[in-house]
Amino acid sequence: MNKEIQGLINDFYEQDYILNQALATSVFLLNNLEKPLLLEGDPGVGKTMLASTLAAHLKTDLIRLQCYEGLDVGTTIYEWNYQKQLLHIKLFEQEKDKRTLGEEIFGMEYVLKRPLLRSITAQKPVVLLIDEIDRADEEFEAFLLELLSDFQISIPELGTIKAVTKPMVILTSNRTRELSDALRRRCLYHWVDFPSKAMEIDIIARKLPDIDEQLAAQVVHFIHNLRKSSLKKPPGIAESLDWAKTLVLLNVDNITDEIVENTLGSVLKHKDDIEFVRNKSVQEFLMPID
Amino acid sequence: MLGPQDTRDAFEIAERGYWLDRTLFRYSLKAIFCKRKEHYDRFDEMFDRFWSRYYDDKLEERKKTVKQIKKEPETDTIIFLGAKFNKPKAKEEEKEAKQTKGANENVRLRFTDFSKVDVADRERLEELAEELFHQMSMRFKRRLEDANKGRIDIRRTIRHSISKGGLMLDLAHRKKRKEKRKVVFILDISGSMDTYSYYLLRYVMVLKKYFRELEFFTFSTHLTHVTPMLRANKELQILKDIGSNVQTWSSGTKIGESLTEFLSGYGHKFLSQKHVVVILSDGLETGSVTQLKEAVETIRRRCKTLIWLNPLKGMKDYQPIQKGIVNVMPHLDAFESAHNLDSLLKLEKLLMDV
Repeated sequence: MNKEIQGLINDFYEQDYILNQALATSVFLLNNLEKPLLLEGDPGVGKTMLASTLAAHLKTDLIRLQCYEGLDVGTTIYEWNYQKQLLHIKLFEQEKDKRTLGEEIFGMEYVLKRPLLRSITAQKPVVLLIDEIDRADEEFEAFLLELLSDFQISIPELGTIKAVTKPMVILTSNRTRELSDALRRRCLYHWVDFPSKAMEIDIIARKLPDIDEQLAAQVVHFIHNLRKSSLKKPPGIAESLDWAKTLVLLNVDNITDEIVENTLGSVLKHKDDIEFVRNKSVQEFLMPID
Repeated sequence: MLGPQDTRDAFEIAERGYWLDRTLFRYSLKAIFCKRKEHYDRFDEMFDRFWSRYYDDKLEERKKTVKQIKKEPETDTIIFLGAKFNKPKAKEEEKEAKQTKGANENVRLRFTDFSKVDVADRERLEELAEELFHQMSMRFKRRLEDANKGRIDIRRTIRHSISKGGLMLDLAHRKKRKEKRKVVFILDISGSMDTYSYYLLRYVMVLKKYFRELEFFTFSTHLTHVTPMLRANKELQILKDIGSNVQTWSSGTKIGESLTEFLSGYGHKFLSQKHVVVILSDGLETGSVTQLKEAVETIRRRCKTLIWLNPLKGMKDYQPIQKGIVNVMPHLDAFESAHNLDSLLKLEKLLMDV
């Protein structure tokens, strides 16, 4: 294996994030090709955590932009500090002419930098996480295109602002809607799947060193079987960990119907899903799967 | 489609010597060339096919884990336009067509069951469908445009006034946020639905333009996610793509199994309290009725509205007595026919009101 990739895997492991070789390669290329990385996958597979772990690994800041429908330039790129501008006008309207005032109030000191602009004007390269881009609408995707391809942003009053340092851009998506080809073309791509049973046992063991091996295996079997059922919200890795922690706190050494009944809220977040599981027996979910 | 930038990136990694490590090379090209999950699932096989010296061994290993590449059907289903058509029993058909009272040609065709349209009338029916669907699509569009007017946005108006010396000359409006309708169509394309599938497909293609989020699936014995194929702009190309990619066209019907497949593979993405699910099927289940009932029950629990469109409902004296339909009826919000142009156009109100 490439030494740098192995180094990446080891460093992430130290931070309790288990990278497989494929994902490590994608992260490696993100850094080396200076191209954004689009991570798609089901909720709870660790896409967001990858970005924060990468920032910690590189000892740099993480700038996070949580996407939602209705995002606009004012919340993502920049906004004028109107109060400061109005105050400046009031203070100097007697001393300076209109032209001078006009030029002064449209300078960088009157710009409120939002995440995207902050990421390209940072003094050292940062990790920019654009989280759940599928929640934003298509208009917002269009804003991003210039940033993703050229690492620059155009502000009508100020012109084009090029990146002082290029951020490492990670976009995440839960595939609730189809992203445009224009966006995809500008990114590297990685599909993040749920971990294999062995990897998930490893993750639990890493986060909870005191957990019994057999219990960890039971938790993982159960969760993997749940994911194959028709649930409203299949449990993610966070839910596996929460449940494992709960079981450790309760000194459980074997999963029974009663234990599941009492702790299901750690795993499932929908009333319908909880009822679905309660109507089945624990043994059904503890059967080993391939 | 891969572009010059992707090729350049591939050359760059090759230049750095990554090709010397086959695994690194594979994962690097995968990250560069794949743009969605569907590509991801196919990439490894294609990589082995091209790069592996021991092609047959690798391919045999891969076959165990990857779905088979869908084969081109021997016939192009575009030939719907001139497809085999069960020649109607002349007397019954003439009677049905003639019984449509006071009908001129267009009205007669509008009310004639798709499965009973004479070969001679098919071209005219095509033209009529085109025209009526276009009119329907204009009505959808008008409804969306009406929602754009809103009240004045004070904050943005003040901001605009800065450049005008404080004078509020440009009024900014706050647009009413549109509640996006999310619709999922699941179309039965089994043998029994053959003559209806084409017109239902055309209908969904028109709707696709005016629902911001419309997902489209077809099924008979297996489920196929057809939505990505709808991105092509030309209708003919869309029909061709769908025809060549759906491998179970006109075979038997396992409705329950297909809906269960929908739930497990796509349910978490395409079912929510904002989703309207429309199932288009005659309900003639050849698989497990219990599975069908459970699947429909689960879909209803997880969506806003569940509509079942059944072409058989257009038949005179039709009663939903087949086991499949009887079991799902309690879970449906609407059970309507979809057997002729008129019934499809009536759905417009249903879809706009949900």
